[in-house]
Amino acid sequence: MNKKTLKVTAILLVLGMIMLTGCGTKAASVEKPAATTLNGQNVDPNATITVGLSASVLTLDPANHRDRNTETVIRNMFDGLVTRTVDGKIVPEIAESWKLNSPTVWEFKIRKGITFHDGSPLTADDVQFTFERILKEGALGNNLSSPRKGLLGPVTSVVKVDDFTVQFNLSSPWPIMEQMLPHQQIVPKAYVEKVGSEEFAKKPIGAGPFKFVEGKLDERIVMERYDKYYGGSPDLKPVGLAQAKTVIFEVIPETSTRLASLMSGQIQISQKVPADMIDKVKADNNLLIKSAEGTTVTMFQMNLKQKPFDNVKVRQAMNYAVNIQQIVDTALGGNAVRLAGPVLATSFAVNKDLKPYPYDTAKAKQLLSEAGYPNGFALVIDTEADLKTIAEAAAADLQKVGINATVRIWDWGVLKPLLLKGERSMALTTFGNSTQDPSDFLEPTLKAGGGGNYSHYANPEAATLIDQAKISLVESERKDLYVKAQAIIYNEAPWVFGYAMKQTEASSKKIVNWESSMDSRINLHDVGILAK
Amino acid sequence: MRAVKIVERVLATIPIMIGVAILVFLFMRFTPGDPVDLMMGKDGNVSAQEVATLRAQFNLDEPIYVQLFDYLHKASQGDLGLSFKKNRPVIELVKEALPATVELSLVAVVISLFIAIPIGVYSAVKQNSLIDRASMGISFLGVSMPAFWLGIVLILIFSVKLGISPAQGRIDYGVGLDKVTGFYLLDSILTGNFQAFKSTLSHLLLPAITLGATLAAIVTRVVRSSMLEVLRQDYIVMARAKGMSEFKVVVKHALRNALIPTVTVVGLEIGVLLGGNMIVETVFGWPGLGRIAVEAIFNRDYPLVQGVVMFYAIVFVMANLIVDILYTYINPKISI
Repeated sequence: MNKKTLKVTAILLVLGMIMLTGCGTKAASVEKPAATTLNGQNVDPNATITVGLSASVLTLDPANHRDRNTETVIRNMFDGLVTRTVDGKIVPEIAESWKLNSPTVWEFKIRKGITFHDGSPLTADDVQFTFERILKEGALGNNLSSPRKGLLGPVTSVVKVDDFTVQFNLSSPWPIMEQMLPHQQIVPKAYVEKVGSEEFAKKPIGAGPFKFVEGKLDERIVMERYDKYYGGSPDLKPVGLAQAKTVIFEVIPETSTRLASLMSGQIQISQKVPADMIDKVKADNNLLIKSAEGTTVTMFQMNLKQKPFDNVKVRQAMNYAVNIQQIVDTALGGNAVRLAGPVLATSFAVNKDLKPYPYDTAKAKQLLSEAGYPNGFALVIDTEADLKTIAEAAAADLQKVGINATVRIWDWGVLKPLLLKGERSMALTTFGNSTQDPSDFLEPTLKAGGGGNYSHYANPEAATLIDQAKISLVESERKDLYVKAQAIIYNEAPWVFGYAMKQTEASSKKIVNWESSMDSRINLHDVGILAK
Repeated sequence: MRAVKIVERVLATIPIMIGVAILVFLFMRFTPGDPVDLMMGKDGNVSAQEVATLRAQFNLDEPIYVQLFDYLHKASQGDLGLSFKKNRPVIELVKEALPATVELSLVAVVISLFIAIPIGVYSAVKQNSLIDRASMGISFLGVSMPAFWLGIVLILIFSVKLGISPAQGRIDYGVGLDKVTGFYLLDSILTGNFQAFKSTLSHLLLPAITLGATLAAIVTRVVRSSMLEVLRQDYIVMARAKGMSEFKVVVKHALRNALIPTVTVVGLEIGVLLGGNMIVETVFGWPGLGRIAVEAIFNRDYPLVQGVVMFYAIVFVMANLIVDILYTYINPKISI
């Protein structure tokens, strides 16, 4: 009896565990009325789309963050004056039209008949209030200022002209105004003033295609279709109510777990698929890889303040010695676009005359000899964990021309201050350019004092060109100025010019009408799920 | 008498907490990396004025000792400040994430004890049998297996291949659980929502097994060795000689005495478990404190890191206190 009892207890325990493990559940099933048609396919109007996010959402207040992931979620509840197509073109959204009254005064006409999720109409007052909240110090309450002010460049004030017209006043001309506006979303003045910023962030109300249902920022945000939505941008088809009834953003930071959730059907769209996982996703018959030209540039920045990179010949030799094309083709599996110079290949201002430095070890060795380094030198390439393979590939290339290169992996928070102080020699890093306009890219990365200028490059001629282009409103003139600046930078080679990683995401094959967007946002307004 | 001692011990934690607060504050400040810089991300123009406004807003423009006194002063009033990155009170963030972490840890402890104690006892009673050797081998594996690896393997088997368990999250959306305490298992029982109970349990099992594996392995070995020792004692021989049933001898006389080292190990391991939470919570997308801590450290979100570490310290100190109190119940000869 006694021995038996022990055995029985043990067996019961094991059985209990097995039974509990079998308790897998799926979300409560929903009834399905007749399907609707999207892109010629029948989609389920009661569908739930679940997206796996790679990081937590910081807030649901559009004015209180500086984070792309957060913007992705917010963008589905809030609309802006203008928005972007998946390939980065600016199209109207809440604004019907706009014009330049003078180089520093923009006027926007607001579409009539738009309502917020509480049913109140959207007018010029709300637009003015939205921008005042961002521009004025301490406007978020509790003495807090918006971290998004910098994204409004020289905008000094936004004033109401009449109920459906607003005017933006700028301190200087700002050619990328339209490209920067999609980053700001309109909030309801009356509601925010009534409940305060803190409560607004907990129960946000916007004028977007989905309204907030519930959510915890580190866990999951749930939204439902807003049935009185005005239809969204006329340029993003189909115009009308959202296709899916419910949209869920789940926070799943670990990449392998996110992809496992996609494979097991727990989510239907996954953000950020790293290059080494793309083949695994492709091998799954139920999944698709979606990619768009990316807007984040990866480059090796060489520190001009230190030897040997104070010598232009050494910097050029580095460009000849690192086989970027091979890195793009093999280490990145072709999921990147090689750049000849610093500017994105998709930018209107890219200098098409520049050709990437060819891979030429003989030329590299010759330049190194001319610069006084016939036997090369020792070099540490500093980078972050996710770029380790790329840095190692480059180090292997550099070994071939006699440069004793090794790789050191850092936490970005530790590395960045050292780079800005000019204490390291070479860093493999990235910088984003979602507008695809060089003005908010070349200035921070290649002008003296820029927050991303780790090469400490300071060429007065290039700086003047960049400054002139920043305030010119004539596109052809801006392009000429940037083309000239790029030529100078290309020859001076402060970077080993790198590549733009493609924006790669994955989705279930049941998802209809969704494409990866260049600026990495996931807009679910027009996306549906195949009806069963 | 016991109550007075307990109060004394609780009061003694106050200087420990002040020490922890100062140490964490200073360590974070001396860790390279600037929170405002990191907050601005890796794109776009950031004006010096914008950075200065934010630094002033976060009080980072004051000398360190001023910041420290300000922090301690506010903390003494229960205000741990605002998270830089999330712009919300630290206390609120900790409170929100706490139930998830505690629930996961408790279930992990329960699972590991349910597995470990019977196996440990059985192995001791049947020393050198096949089952004993096998369980010791497996527990050796359990101790040496890294949690992130075990977690991913479990996800691959149970979520991707077999499809019987979710890969991540805490509960399915749509099961309609009314939140009472924030502990979903408890809430689903209190509200009688069986569907929510099933959903919570299925989400909990893989992370809890991952988190509890190491503890189960350690406890199995501790129970086995202390049982072996106890079973050789004279009073066990005496009990058997009196004709008492083997079950009673093992469970009532031997196990109770063998549990003292086990309680010590479990108490200490709770601290380790919370540390391990950071990895397990990240792997399973579990919305708990560990994940917040990892993010906060990378973002140099000083107030949030300080808040989370303070909480860990409280739990560690309290776990030790509870262990000491439990001793006195298991063996009345021991006093606090």
